[in-house]
Amino acid sequence: MTTIKKLTKAREASSLLFLVVLFAIVGCINKDFLAPSSIMACFNDSVVFTLLAVGMAFAIFIGEIDVSIGSNLGFSAAVVGSMLRDGHSFVISFLTGLLIGVLVGLFNGWGVAVLKIPSLIFTLGTNGILRGMIFLYTGGAWVENLPPQFTAFSSKPLVSNLTVYYAVVILAVVVIHILLTRTKKGKYFIAVGDNEGGATLVGIPATRTKVLAYVFCGVFASIAGIIYASRIGFITVIAGNGYEMKAVAACVIGGISLTGGLGSVIGACIGAVIMSSVSRILVFMGFSSDYDNTITGLMLITIVVLDALLQRHSAERIRRERLTNRAASAAQKGGEQA
Amino acid sequence: MMFLQNKIFLSTQMSLYIGGSTMQKTQTLLSVRNIEKAFGLNRVLKGINLELSAGEVLSLIGGNGAGKSTLMKIIMGIYQPDAGQIHIKEQEVNLNRPSVALAHGIYMVPQEPMLFPNMTVEENIVMGFDEKQAELHRRLVEQISEVGWDLDLNRKAGSLSIAEQQLVEILRGLLRNAEILILDEPTSALTFDEVKSLFQCVNDLRSKGIGIIYITHRLTEVFEISTSVAIMRDGVITLSGQVGEFTKEALVKGLLPPNREEKAEEGGQAESVAHVIDYSKPPVLELQHFSGYGFNDISLKLYPGEILGVAGVVGAGRTELATTIFGRDKALGGRVILDGKDITGLSTKRVIEAGLNYVPEDRHLHGLFKIADVAVNTTSAFLPDKSMGRFLLNRKKEREVTQKYIDDFRIKVTGQSQMTGSLSGGNQQKIVIGRSLSTGPKVVILDEPTRGIDAGARGDVYAIIHQLRKQGVSVLLISSDMEEIVELSDRAVSVFQGRINAELSKEEINQDNLMAAAFDVKQEKEVIA
Repeated sequence: MTTIKKLTKAREASSLLFLVVLFAIVGCINKDFLAPSSIMACFNDSVVFTLLAVGMAFAIFIGEIDVSIGSNLGFSAAVVGSMLRDGHSFVISFLTGLLIGVLVGLFNGWGVAVLKIPSLIFTLGTNGILRGMIFLYTGGAWVENLPPQFTAFSSKPLVSNLTVYYAVVILAVVVIHILLTRTKKGKYFIAVGDNEGGATLVGIPATRTKVLAYVFCGVFASIAGIIYASRIGFITVIAGNGYEMKAVAACVIGGISLTGGLGSVIGACIGAVIMSSVSRILVFMGFSSDYDNTITGLMLITIVVLDALLQRHSAERIRRERLTNRAASAAQKGGEQA
Repeated sequence: MMFLQNKIFLSTQMSLYIGGSTMQKTQTLLSVRNIEKAFGLNRVLKGINLELSAGEVLSLIGGNGAGKSTLMKIIMGIYQPDAGQIHIKEQEVNLNRPSVALAHGIYMVPQEPMLFPNMTVEENIVMGFDEKQAELHRRLVEQISEVGWDLDLNRKAGSLSIAEQQLVEILRGLLRNAEILILDEPTSALTFDEVKSLFQCVNDLRSKGIGIIYITHRLTEVFEISTSVAIMRDGVITLSGQVGEFTKEALVKGLLPPNREEKAEEGGQAESVAHVIDYSKPPVLELQHFSGYGFNDISLKLYPGEILGVAGVVGAGRTELATTIFGRDKALGGRVILDGKDITGLSTKRVIEAGLNYVPEDRHLHGLFKIADVAVNTTSAFLPDKSMGRFLLNRKKEREVTQKYIDDFRIKVTGQSQMTGSLSGGNQQKIVIGRSLSTGPKVVILDEPTRGIDAGARGDVYAIIHQLRKQGVSVLLISSDMEEIVELSDRAVSVFQGRINAELSKEEINQDNLMAAAFDVKQEKEVIA
């Protein structure tokens, strides 16, 4: 009973509810949207955004942000794609991709946690550097002709409509969620975001934790890059451009607070499904998918504003309640004395 | 040279050793030796020696900028000293990280509790441990029942009162088997009852052989709670020993700069004699049955040129009263009349225009633009005035106004363009007061004007307040420091749990009366008499 109560109270529950209601509304307008294959496509197509959102969640947990993930995705995809095209082995290519993620994460972590540069600015710079490197690396050309076994794998189903990619990603998210909430070291991320000074005082290595969060964020972005390459089959110089906004929006819709220390990767995962479904939903409702970014941005702002107003309101309500109680208890006491 | 230094070092060590053995045969837990620390050219610690034994409560007092917090951060492993050693139980240790300090049994309860607001009490306490969770839970429950506190482990830490948060912090330390506990101004945000239970807790811990460093600004607490005392001033320890060896006056002397005290005393006396207030004039500020969040049915009158002290304990509702008058919070009933004009419920901007200004208690939170320069801060409340320029800022006027207040208030700055955040607490406070005066108010509400600033700056702030009165400005002085109200006020009221429970005339104002009123113990006193 208590677990059920806990579940309904959780911030992710409202995100899940939002997802269900959204799909139901779209289904009312266009019944085809609710066909099993269509629903599964919404989930399968969210795999790249899920990876990005989970990575972004690490950065937001610690109270920071990473806007370099879009270019990180593009660069990793370009490097891994071209290596595979040139006949390198899968293992070497993938390891190179992961190495890019680690290095980008270390660089961002160094700037934000060690040098204490505002994360938005520092990672914006990283974003520019990486985007430029894609142009330099590819000479402005598309990376094409990827090995067919690599691209074919993207649509390989595990059971019926569920792709192997999405199944593995979901499994990974669950494992990460357990690590983050059940282990001592895992809780460090949330703790640092909740109160960095306090974390330092109880002996949590705050700087190291922050750097690690950025490394996770970077690695998830490059894994997303590899899967992106596999799914799309070619990589342009603008691959992943603007994906950071979708990832942030996914986290926020999934109930992760931008102030840090609150939320879960499960929420990010649900948010990613919502965000990646926006363009599909638009098509099913008869609009152009050109509205995609505008709507994503609107949703992001709406939720952040609502969240901020609600938080302010409840803080103010608690304060007034406390003050009123204090004055009331005094009045009561006075009455008794008289 | 080297040799000489060594010799001095040895001799201090010797004398400390002798001192220790003659008093009591207790174990020395912590020994800080010749610690030095500089930030850039600013030498904050100039060779600090400090000893703490088991079962000792060492009160560490000193003004802001004396170096107390720097020293504590070195002991906690947050800063590294430039020179000197730290010994724990006679062994030299290298405290290069907080986790190392924690492993050596040191725990600091910071002034503002550093909890994780979104986590439960239990999660907060066990955070950072390496043991199994079930084992931790068992120990925690044991520990809580041992100290006899009532604490719901599943509450979110963000919903706790400051006092409860401090208990959580202390539990964190106890669960780590801390033997050296540092309490940094623990009572500054507590109510009377909470202070009592905290003191009881400190006594319990002491009897268990825990050594406690107790940092405070309140001298009465030193005598109430500690076994020994040390005074820091300007990066050195000027005075230390057993509490019994000192009187309060001796401690105050130790806090003041050597040549400063006489001047301050003379000035204070001369000012307070000469002033007479005309109570036949109509009051400049009148509250009629004024109510709001945290206070109820407050009626009072403030006359021109008067300083009205508003005594009470922290949390009595005085700050809420002030912010509500100032238009920052919603008024729930009654009226505020300023110079015959009803200003109840007006916006802050209109209240300032009507001639009332408020200097908040927490200058960091509400008062200062820290990364702006001194000039910007001083004139920021004055900006709507036409003389500052209609559209473009009149820089000449800004400089003029700023210089006036820098000179008048003896604010120590390197120049008008110095960043305000880099000034000492006392000088920041002078700027906030200066700013509130630049609007030419009839009434100024000062909320804890000298909280957390050192004795020297305190004298300057008092001088400013006297000067104000001379110019005919009326002051509503909210203060929890009874000495301050005695020294400054012409009349005083006391607020207890949101209501005025006493009004004292100039003759009746003394520390005993104020204290009694602030804690509402009047009736008992009458019974005794």
